[in-house]
Amino acid sequence: MNELIPLMVIIPIACALLLNLFHTKDKTITILALTVAIILPIIPLLSNYGLHYFGGHAPLINTGTLLNSLPSNISDSALAIFHPAVTYSYESLQKIFIFVLGIVAFFAIFTSLSQTKKISGPLMFLMFMGTAAVTAILLSDDIFHMYIFFEIAALAQTGIILTSKTKDNYETALKYLIIGSVGGPLLLLGIGLLLGLVGSVNISDIVYAISHNLVDPLSPAFLLAFGLIFFGWLYSSGLPPFHTIKSSLYSKALPHASSLLQAFTVVTFIGFGIAIFRIFSILPFFETLIIVFSLLAMILGVTMAIMQKDFMRMIGFLAVGELGYIGLGFGLATQFSVTAGLFQALNEIIITALIIIGFGAVLYLTNTSDTKKLGGLIVDNPALAIMVLIGGFALAGVPPLNGFQSKLMIIQASLNSGFPEISIIAILVSIITFMTFMKVFHSIFLKPKPRNLKLVNKKVPKSIILSVGVLLIICIVLGLFPQLATDNISQFVMGLI
Amino acid sequence: MGFYDKIVESFTEIREKLSTDPATNESVSSALAAELTLISTLLIATILLRHISIILTIIIALGLTLFLITNMPLIPKLKKEQSDSLDKMLFYIIVTLGILITVIYWGTTNV
Repeated sequence: MNELIPLMVIIPIACALLLNLFHTKDKTITILALTVAIILPIIPLLSNYGLHYFGGHAPLINTGTLLNSLPSNISDSALAIFHPAVTYSYESLQKIFIFVLGIVAFFAIFTSLSQTKKISGPLMFLMFMGTAAVTAILLSDDIFHMYIFFEIAALAQTGIILTSKTKDNYETALKYLIIGSVGGPLLLLGIGLLLGLVGSVNISDIVYAISHNLVDPLSPAFLLAFGLIFFGWLYSSGLPPFHTIKSSLYSKALPHASSLLQAFTVVTFIGFGIAIFRIFSILPFFETLIIVFSLLAMILGVTMAIMQKDFMRMIGFLAVGELGYIGLGFGLATQFSVTAGLFQALNEIIITALIIIGFGAVLYLTNTSDTKKLGGLIVDNPALAIMVLIGGFALAGVPPLNGFQSKLMIIQASLNSGFPEISIIAILVSIITFMTFMKVFHSIFLKPKPRNLKLVNKKVPKSIILSVGVLLIICIVLGLFPQLATDNISQFVMGLI
Repeated sequence: MGFYDKIVESFTEIREKLSTDPATNESVSSALAAELTLISTLLIATILLRHISIILTIIIALGLTLFLITNMPLIPKLKKEQSDSLDKMLFYIIVTLGILITVIYWGTTNV
């Protein structure tokens, strides 16, 4: 059923618009949001692999009668192969990522609806809009279309921060917008240069033009386009120098919304990462640049995380640091490494969502994220504490969890590529991630409860326990049976390299 | 809450505001771990340059070691630079853009 491909984007957008319309009617919002949130992970499972051309405008080469009626200077040229319409490509990679994104979106929306007394229609609108936008980024084979949806996702993220009512949320949202006004237009300028050179913004067309020498990849305009699009990718994915604002963004959102924000970032990272890989991997410095920025993200992320006293900020920095592992997969540029990087991306979406939702319970109980003021929470919430602890193990790469499998693959890939230094750094960063997590876990759950710690809520909502539990089961299953994900991913990567 | 409790609570709050973030076992070990991680990972990353030139690797590794040791402790300085200040963020963003375009353009055309 290829008709379902555009519905993966259209349904959440339609739902977002309806939720905004019914923003005062709590019951309607709850029913509509939960129904669509349940549908979101189901659609990718029902849909068939294939292409969807918007407006039905397939390339001329696919429409025999029309092609034969055209003059030979058109039918024999590259124009016959170029894609005239926005094209969505749905393959094994998109299937697994959109499914996992749907699961995380469901739990983020479910915990949001069950925790807040006054349901916010605008917040629901933004969560669905952001989900639709990143789904479109993953599906699209058109780099301009990706840019448009990236900007929508960026605005949705800013809006989610604005609805959070945390301390200094307005300032962080404003900073993100200002920084976005640097990163976004430069990304667009790069895309504009590519359009000028190739005459198309479709990624397959651009790759065709490069491989058939229709464009000189060493021309200054092409190199500048690479620089600007690469810079835009750093901005969209929160790699250095954008890691500070990205981690700040995670810490200022409400935990359930933050769990979705990190998923947006990871999906945008791989969506643009794959596009850049397809177009620019022919250039010298391509792999080196990705490795340099990935290592920087890992080193800066983990060293800043360990120094934090605010646990939400610490998770923010750790999440940014983990992005470096995904980047390493792309940077090593072998089939095995890219599979490992994409598997790490999938795991990061699940693990970080688990940890953020789990620690969100602490925020719900105490209304503070300052670890100095917390302690002893394991007494009343042993089940939650143990589940979050195992989630932390997965994040650090402790066997037999999913984080271990993907990190081991990345380490093996770097050894196979002749870069043992990268393997050593990856192991060191994993150890420090473990230490950072244990430090914050000890501060919140294990150390004696401070006498002045007051609980604003007595019990952890069941929705949080359920969400963390299900995400943990996914972590364990993917850890024991990684081939459930890697088979789909490697199938896609074989076509990529 | 009784009147007495309110007074005690206000004293606690004032004391918290006046206290100058004491160095705890936890914060010191964190800072040390971060410092050692930073130094070791940067030096290991430098070894990657051996793929370009071994002499260059030796020179940069020695230079970096000297720079890191003479500037210890590094983490407080790094933390200050990685703050939420918009000025600093924009500064590093523009510097990165400049380096990136320079490396891509001149690096590709001259290598």
